[in-house]
Amino acid sequence: MKNFLKQHGLWVLFAAAVLSVAMAVLSVLSANSSPLANLTGIVVSPFRAGYTAIANWFNDFQNYYKDNTDLREENAALRRRIAQMEETIRQAEADVAENKKFRELLNLTKQRRDLTDFEACMITEHEVTNWTSSLTLNKGTSLGIEVGDCVIDECGNLVGVVSQAGTNWSTVLTLVDTDTSLGAQVFRTKDLGVAQGDFSLMREQRLRLDYLPADCSLLPGDVVVTSGLNGIYPSGLVIGSVEELRKDDSGASSYAILAPETDLDSLTEVFVIKSFEIVT
Amino acid sequence: MIARNETIFKWALYAAATALCMLVQTGLLQRLEFWGVLPFLYPLLAAIPATFQGPLAGSIFSLCVGVVCDLLLPGPIPCLYTLAFPVIGLCAGLLAQSWLPAGFLCSLVSAAAAFLLTDGLLCLVLWMRGHAAWEAGALVMVREFCVTVPFIIPLTLLYRSVYRRTQLDD
Repeated sequence: MKNFLKQHGLWVLFAAAVLSVAMAVLSVLSANSSPLANLTGIVVSPFRAGYTAIANWFNDFQNYYKDNTDLREENAALRRRIAQMEETIRQAEADVAENKKFRELLNLTKQRRDLTDFEACMITEHEVTNWTSSLTLNKGTSLGIEVGDCVIDECGNLVGVVSQAGTNWSTVLTLVDTDTSLGAQVFRTKDLGVAQGDFSLMREQRLRLDYLPADCSLLPGDVVVTSGLNGIYPSGLVIGSVEELRKDDSGASSYAILAPETDLDSLTEVFVIKSFEIVT
Repeated sequence: MIARNETIFKWALYAAATALCMLVQTGLLQRLEFWGVLPFLYPLLAAIPATFQGPLAGSIFSLCVGVVCDLLLPGPIPCLYTLAFPVIGLCAGLLAQSWLPAGFLCSLVSAAAAFLLTDGLLCLVLWMRGHAAWEAGALVMVREFCVTVPFIIPLTLLYRSVYRRTQLDD
């Protein structure tokens, strides 16, 4: 190397000077970059892009991990929030439904001043055998419920009559049960009859209106209410509406098939009439 | 003293098995309706244990089941199951003792007799109270029996295991 520089040093120095001058001149003349710098850039550019890509990948990965962790935490927090909100909505819906029922009952109380004392009850059990149509309520004698009390829904439609009452429970035989028998009156014609359950109609949730006068002229859709005769049950509670008129087996008298106004299958809450005044 | 303890243990096991079945009836089956009727296990609870325990013990056990049913279930008369179930127990016990050995077939025949007696008595009570519904009652009985028949298998297995356990202890 030393010998090489001794022998050719001047030429190398000269070539370097020429190159430097040439580069200087070219850089002055060139609008963008010198050819040499350009060449260097071209060669280095893929490597530069490569390591930038690798660095970006690492950055992205780091960001992804961080974002993923943050999102998981945020997701969990949002799920908790949604669960809380859903619970609030459910509670609100239940409150709205309860409020609606109480409003309707309040209107009923205003309209029916003879119904003096109600007890709101939840239905804990629907039918328990295939031979009866009954409801079990969550309140009993401790709150003044007694056998024979009428049970209505929030609209004032008759549901049934309390047949058994324990300390904190009571059993209601619904309108369609074979043991149910109520004095009834057709609202339009004022005809009197007896609304009673019939086993062959019980599964269809229908009942009969018997002992109708011979000259009665019922029409489908006629509303039938409790007559209140003898003062056993309050008067004017809606039992149901006439569905059809049939002749009995002898053909001498007729009876009507009634469809209860209340939907017995969908009931969840009912009101027991603990006391009422006899309207004359 | 030992024999008495074994007897108590045996009937306690039968009572526990019956209580479990009643829990299934009230907690689950009462909420399911097939073919327009609810599955009704109670007549089976009077019939199947009696096939394993004979007419006397079977009818006494069925009487107890009947009393519990009358306390739990609403009915047209307050002692309907107390009247019907001892007869079912007696019939099932006699059937197993004389004709069919206790097992699935015997349980099936006893169950048919149990539904016939219970639902027949219900129809009779309705008729006596002026609500005759023989046709509708027969239809409900057939449906009730059909939807309850599948439960004869687990109930027979349950009571047979109780029987074998108590026989081994004997």
